[in-house]
Amino acid sequence: MVLVLAIGDLHVPYRAPDLPAKFKSMLVPGKIQHIICTGNLCIKEVHDYLKNLCPSLHITRGEYDEDARYPETKTLTIGQFKLGLCHGHQVVPWGDLDSLAMLQRQLDVDILVTGHTHQFKAYKHEAGVVINPGSATGAYSSITYDVNPSFVLMDIDGLRVVVYVYELIDGEVKVDKIDFKKTGTATSHSAH
Amino acid sequence: MAISPVPMEPTGGALTETTLNSEDSRRFGNLRGVQWRIDLGILPSSPSSSVDDLRRVTANSRRRYAALRRQLLVDPHLPKDGSSSPDLVIDNPLSQNPDSMWGRFFKNAELERMVDQDLTRLYPEHGSYFQTSGCQGMLRRILLLWCLRHQEYGYRQGMHELLAPLLYVLHVDVEHLSEVRNMYEDYFTDKFDGFSFHESDLTYKFDFKKFSELMEDGNGSGKVAANASSLSQLDPNIQTIVLLSDAYGAEGELGVVLSEKFMEHDAYCMFDALMNGSGGAVAMAEFFSPSPFASSHTGFPPVIEASAALYHLLSLVDSSLHTHLVELGVEPQYFSLRWLRVLFGREFALEELLIVWDEIFACENCKLNKLAENDVDTSSGVLDSSRGAFISAFAVSMILYLRSSLLATENATSCLKRLLNFPDDVKLEKLIRKAKSLQALAVDANNSNPLLTQAGMFERSESAAVRGHSLSFDATSPRTPLTLVPDSYWEEKWRNLHKEEERKKDALEKQAPSIRKGWSEKVKLGLSRTESAPSSSSVDKRKKDPKLSVRRNLLEDLARQLGADEDTQSIMDDERADVKDQGVEDGQDFNDKFACTTEQTCLSGNAGSEENSSIFSDPPSPINGVNDHGNESGRSSVASNSSIDEHDGGTNTAELCAHNPEGLPLPVSDSPDDVSLEASPNDQTAAEKSTVGLKERKLLSSSKFQWLWKFGRGGGEGIPEKGQVSEANKGCSNRFDHDSVTRCSASNGGVILSSESSKGETVDQNVMLTLRNLGQSMLENIQVIESVFQQDRAQAAPAKNVLVGKGQVTARSALKELRKISNLLSEM
Repeated sequence: MVLVLAIGDLHVPYRAPDLPAKFKSMLVPGKIQHIICTGNLCIKEVHDYLKNLCPSLHITRGEYDEDARYPETKTLTIGQFKLGLCHGHQVVPWGDLDSLAMLQRQLDVDILVTGHTHQFKAYKHEAGVVINPGSATGAYSSITYDVNPSFVLMDIDGLRVVVYVYELIDGEVKVDKIDFKKTGTATSHSAH
Repeated sequence: MAISPVPMEPTGGALTETTLNSEDSRRFGNLRGVQWRIDLGILPSSPSSSVDDLRRVTANSRRRYAALRRQLLVDPHLPKDGSSSPDLVIDNPLSQNPDSMWGRFFKNAELERMVDQDLTRLYPEHGSYFQTSGCQGMLRRILLLWCLRHQEYGYRQGMHELLAPLLYVLHVDVEHLSEVRNMYEDYFTDKFDGFSFHESDLTYKFDFKKFSELMEDGNGSGKVAANASSLSQLDPNIQTIVLLSDAYGAEGELGVVLSEKFMEHDAYCMFDALMNGSGGAVAMAEFFSPSPFASSHTGFPPVIEASAALYHLLSLVDSSLHTHLVELGVEPQYFSLRWLRVLFGREFALEELLIVWDEIFACENCKLNKLAENDVDTSSGVLDSSRGAFISAFAVSMILYLRSSLLATENATSCLKRLLNFPDDVKLEKLIRKAKSLQALAVDANNSNPLLTQAGMFERSESAAVRGHSLSFDATSPRTPLTLVPDSYWEEKWRNLHKEEERKKDALEKQAPSIRKGWSEKVKLGLSRTESAPSSSSVDKRKKDPKLSVRRNLLEDLARQLGADEDTQSIMDDERADVKDQGVEDGQDFNDKFACTTEQTCLSGNAGSEENSSIFSDPPSPINGVNDHGNESGRSSVASNSSIDEHDGGTNTAELCAHNPEGLPLPVSDSPDDVSLEASPNDQTAAEKSTVGLKERKLLSSSKFQWLWKFGRGGGEGIPEKGQVSEANKGCSNRFDHDSVTRCSASNGGVILSSESSKGETVDQNVMLTLRNLGQSMLENIQVIESVFQQDRAQAAPAKNVLVGKGQVTARSALKELRKISNLLSEM
């Protein structure tokens, strides 16, 4: 029953002033155990805010992040799942599933979380799951039209992960849920 | 079936348990789990209920718990109510909606966190059982479910300590069961029609020969019969255990009363019953609630009420310790909160606690005092049962156990330290025995909780008078000196003080009562009360506690003397001033005021004489109340006369006596118990203008009063004497009867003489002095009467002529008597 928040591409204060109010009201400390952030926060204040939400904060570096010390990629293990984190601007073409799958194999993770496209995506393929939480503030993107604010909450419970997607569409929060089950350790990893 | 258990010692139990249990033949004395379940009301308690009944009830309660568990333990992954597509906007983990599954889940998680905080610290000294994950899991679930079920209480620290022993006794029972199982394996093994099956038994391999051998060995049906018969020959305890745990009995496995599998269920039921009180009065949950009890009349939380009841009981039992604690500011809830909330769980080791709880649970929990529901003086609701009484009695016995060390300390913190660190080497049987002896008292104490009457200890007393009253009641009972020797010293002091004050207050008669009251209170708190007490008692005949009556009798003397002081002064003042106009008002005031002072009585006595005299023709009863006061003041004035004689030479005595006699006879009749009642201020009031006869009567009674007062002064032996004298007075003072008056005076004289002689040994000097004074004052009184007599005759008699005529005759005869008596006295 581990709740993991996947969030990113806030671009505060350059492209957006702040998180939408409805999102902010939902994000209260105490419920979430981990936060994985794809990057492009951009300033320290956002980092502090996220840190306040949950002390276990993992960030990778986006191209506009002001803190240069964030790593390019990160992997962590939560429960039975291995998670990989990367901003995504390094993987060209941006948002391409095959390239991302390559990265996933490279990092050897079950779930890969990337951003940069400012568009929510959740792919499942034989090696695992690729999740793009989109932009939490709905910041402008040169490669996406009509960016909706969105983020992702993962509920990791044993061998099963439930992905809740929160999107702000027309001023209303819409929630969607996707179930993923880890089939078994043997199949999902190829030996390297 | 009636099974009287031979008490077996439970694992590690103290020997004392056998002595305690042997008195009451409890069915399951050695099986605490079962016994407590019966006591708490889960299992039927009637002795006729069979094992099958027990099993059925057990099974039902377990089913209920299982259903509850399923319902309340939330798994958010499972869709609510089986719906396949829950509304995600509500049911997502971040939802703020409190009704959502996730909301409930988080609330449960929060509760669980709180529970865990306590559980990890539970009974570390018995960690081998309590800290195991299985036990912790059970405790956690039980507490969670109970708190979810009773949202209004939530989880409070201490609930886990109530639950832990319950689970423990169940565990002990199960262990006991396994021991018995090992010893009497035969009865427990699953014998199918008498054959014990071996694992290698295969029917097709069945060896008929072997079978016949078995039969011959008696392993067959013969053994079954043997088993059955031997079962009943077993120790009855073992028998019950076997029957209770028979997997094939009523309700099958669910009904096995001592079952390890269902320990959680049983513990939950016990905990629930303990917290709810099972319809009885003592519901432990109430101790955790911050809000006042529903039917409480004080608006205090139940713990506070219970603590107050505790202190009240202590004050009844050992008031010196109680006052000591109250003075130090040790409020009961400082320590009793912990005692009550955990039922002494933190004060005793686990094994001893089990014994204590045995006793507590053995008491009935049904509400006593149901009729008093609507009264203002309802009992403290949460302790209103014999179980509650035992709890408060036990707490008081604990406090008494520490008596010496508590009395030795002089500050509150060390007192609390001692109370909160109860010594380990406690003789539990002593405590329990004492608690049992106090139990009956506790029931009464609970019914008259001072907290409810609002005159008690928690700074809720409303009026100063009431407060003073309660204080004097509580505070002075152990400490009031029962000897009158110091009184004379004080008396003189007060008299001196009083004279000065009186001179200052010439124009302030109206306010004098209050001033006088304050003054007397200033001097001595308790005695000030008693000073007014006689007058007040004469007014409204309050019922006093028997134990206080002794004190009051003796103190009345002092009061009288005080009053005498005041009276003399006031009378002097009054006579000088023209007080007659005020008399009416004063008389009325005096009648009205509950805590009258003798000042008042004097006033009324003196000034209101006209008024009273007018009333005198009426039946005596309405005047009696007034007369009581008059009597008192009269007597006190007489007394003061005599005392003043010692100092001043008593020019006023004559005047006083003139006033006194009239009202005196009447009040005496009304209050035979109080010596002081013989004087009433109204005597004074009635004195001046009423008939001579009345005056004479007053004089007579005043003289008697004087004597009585002197006796009382002389050394407090006077109770029987006073009784005699008062009786005499009573006899003589009932009516305006000439004969009675004479009889009275004669009898009084006789009584007094006899009492005088009996008093010979003690306080001789005092007696002599007083008697001499008496004689002098008597002579003076007589002179006054005669003079007044003359005056009356001279005056135009008002409508009371009839009485006057009669009065003259009686007056004369009374005077003669007086002369005789005074002569006797002066000779002494």
